[in-house]
Amino acid sequence: MSPEIVLDVRGLTVEFPTRNGILTAVDNVSFSIAKGEILGVVGESGAGKSLTGAAIIGLLEPPGRVAKGEIRLKGERIDGLAGEALRRLRGRRVGMVFQDPLTSLNPLYTVGDQLIETISTHRPDLSASAARERALSLLIDVGIPAAKDRLFAYPHQFSGGMRQRVVIALALAAEPELVIADEPTTALDVSVQAQIIALLKRLCAERGTSVMLITHDMGVIAETCDRVAVLYAGRIVEIGPVADVIHRPCHPYTIGLMGAIPALDGEEDRLTQIPGSMPRLSAIPQGCAFHPRCARTSQTCIDERPLLTAAGSGSAACWHIDPALTGAGS
Amino acid sequence: MTSHALIRAEHLSKAFDVSKPWLERTLSGEGRRTLSAVSDVSFDIAAGETFALVGESGSGKSTIARLVVGLHAASGGRIVFDGLDIADPASARQFAAERRRIAMIFQDPYASLNPRWRIGDIIAEPLYAFDLVKNRDEAQARVDELLRLVKLDPLDGVKFPHEFSGGQRQRVAIARALASNPDVIVCDEPTSALDVSVQAQVLNLMRDLQDQFKLTYLLISHNLAVVRHMATRVGVLYLGRLVEVAPAKTLFANPRHPYTRMLLAAVPDLHLVGRARTAVQGEIANPIDLPPGCAFHPRCPLANGRCTSDIPQLISRDGADIACHAVEEGRE
Ligand SMILES: Nc1ncnc2c1ncn2[C@@H]1O[C@H](COP(=O)(O)OP(=O)(O)OP(=O)(O)O)[C@@H](O)[C@H]1O
Ligand SMILES: Nc1ncnc2c1ncn2[C@@H]1O[C@H](COP(=O)(O)OP(=O)(O)OP(=O)(O)O)[C@@H](O)[C@H]1O
Ligand code: SF4
Ligand code: SF4
Ligand SMILES: [Mg+2]
Ligand SMILES: [Mg+2]
Repeated sequence: MSPEIVLDVRGLTVEFPTRNGILTAVDNVSFSIAKGEILGVVGESGAGKSLTGAAIIGLLEPPGRVAKGEIRLKGERIDGLAGEALRRLRGRRVGMVFQDPLTSLNPLYTVGDQLIETISTHRPDLSASAARERALSLLIDVGIPAAKDRLFAYPHQFSGGMRQRVVIALALAAEPELVIADEPTTALDVSVQAQIIALLKRLCAERGTSVMLITHDMGVIAETCDRVAVLYAGRIVEIGPVADVIHRPCHPYTIGLMGAIPALDGEEDRLTQIPGSMPRLSAIPQGCAFHPRCARTSQTCIDERPLLTAAGSGSAACWHIDPALTGAGS
Repeated sequence: MTSHALIRAEHLSKAFDVSKPWLERTLSGEGRRTLSAVSDVSFDIAAGETFALVGESGSGKSTIARLVVGLHAASGGRIVFDGLDIADPASARQFAAERRRIAMIFQDPYASLNPRWRIGDIIAEPLYAFDLVKNRDEAQARVDELLRLVKLDPLDGVKFPHEFSGGQRQRVAIARALASNPDVIVCDEPTSALDVSVQAQVLNLMRDLQDQFKLTYLLISHNLAVVRHMATRVGVLYLGRLVEVAPAKTLFANPRHPYTRMLLAAVPDLHLVGRARTAVQGEIANPIDLPPGCAFHPRCPLANGRCTSDIPQLISRDGADIACHAVEEGRE
């Protein structure tokens, strides 16, 4: 029996209509996340990671819009929800950790009040004191030292990493089925990071929570995720089991990404860079969007867009995958 | 250390008042409470150097950064910039003229960019504030150059912050910090929102600028690989105190303080998929009610009686400064 699919995204396309034409920020993206699974989403700055997350919970800011595609949560369409239905989805069924912690915290209310408010909204069955207990235990779960003393402190009285953890606590407050975490550990030092990762993994194992983890930190991906999707210019260029994507990447872009990571034992004077940079949305190259930066480019790459095909133990979108990895060559 | 430190922190302390509101305090009979975010921290940064501060979340890194650029007033001690006490009213006028020389990249890039301004104007602001350009054309040319430097397109200058991704916003913040041609940049997690590829570009850029203009950095990062790559010297903070200061090479090759050792052991390793990393032992102590003696003693495998009563001071050992009784007593 295959595991239950919690999130299923098919052909998701996000567009921004502008005076000079339509910009496509997320282009025909498909993936799914099973119950209790953690899917990592990586890719360079501007690849469309945050927008993919925002589209799933209906938080695209106009003029941004889902132009094509279907999004299902446990089989139920959730794209196109509005009003009360959308509000119930957010927070209750899908928890979101935003990339900018400050944008999800209200500076005028204490951290404790915000947590208790979220808990009471989604769990009206809880008494005031039970909601308060739960708020406190969430803060302890995310590793806020002296949580009891700080429940009623304001966001500005917390350090950057502490605010980020409060946002994580808020996302988990209603025990959602799916958590979309956008760079949840960027401001965290390794020890707290380890604690948050352990917490996420525990939620997945014990409660079957599914997680979409957006991060550029490959160390975190390696340690946390079951599978990983690599995004480039709004498209998935490679997706597969985490160990394979990290150790035996198939796509030239993934290979480049892996080389850019500074190593703790490294003596290297300069870090490997992928030449060039991510294209602007208004100038995404035709064919394979990566071709101006790729060392393997051929005429086919310039003319035709590669689709995801089996490669290694996952799939990749590239015309010139090392044949040894596709199993086709040898 | 060096006689010509560009930045010198002398016995720097910062306490925040975290008392409950007056009425509540009176009713419950509770006194005022303070949180010591930074205690008795001293360090020197020489021109052209990259001094990094590392330590767990809440250890006081951002507070020190804000003290260095004058955004917080110190509760004790002082910051001396190129011979001037930045808080001394007598040197206030002189320091105002020197402001241009220190720039800061904030930890939260979104919060530090005014959402109503176009990013071209955000980057140009220091140019006008410090009278660095004669006219709009000159400002525009400089903004374009800065945008290109951080791998954004000059055409992006007309956009607003919300139209950028997280990493793109962080690059705008970097461009703005570079605008006034500073001598010192205080970088609070400058690359934390950046993917590895842009991070590599930004770190290489920071190094090139340093070589070219002899820039001095105070670098705050929780990413030890980044620190390893960039820093000449590293200071390790634990609950507001420096527990070890050493050249980067020495620190990573031979960490001496028990806390530094614990920190290095907790780094996730890309090469070990699915490995359970060495968990950091114990809880971070309550910063409002610090443990007496060495604040690390409840978590320290080497703690003894003395550790629970005496605060260890920095002592020099093999080119590093370490604040630990065990190191001093030779029972590492
Ligand atoms: N409101 C908007 N209007 C126009 N373009 C936008 C808007 N929001 C995002 N974009 C563009 O869409 C692209 C994808 O943005 P997104 O925020 O998804 O990137 P990301 O992969 O999360 O990057 P990062 O790692 O830097 O956070 C970027 O090029 C960004 O500039
Ligand atoms: N304005 C304030 N009022 C009260 N407490 C504060 C204030 N600013 C910081 N603190 C406290 O001071 C301590 C140090 O905070 P600081 O922001 O310097 O930490 P940090 O080392 O930068 O942590 P992080 O890695 O999470 O950013 C924390 O316990 C924080 O809660
Ligand atoms: S399709 Fe061609 S250009 Fe694109 S990644 Fe593969 S080899 Fe490179
Ligand atoms: S002083 Fe004592 S408690 Fe503190 S780090 Fe050294 S041995 Fe451990
Ligand atoms: Mg993003
Ligand atoms: Mg900080």
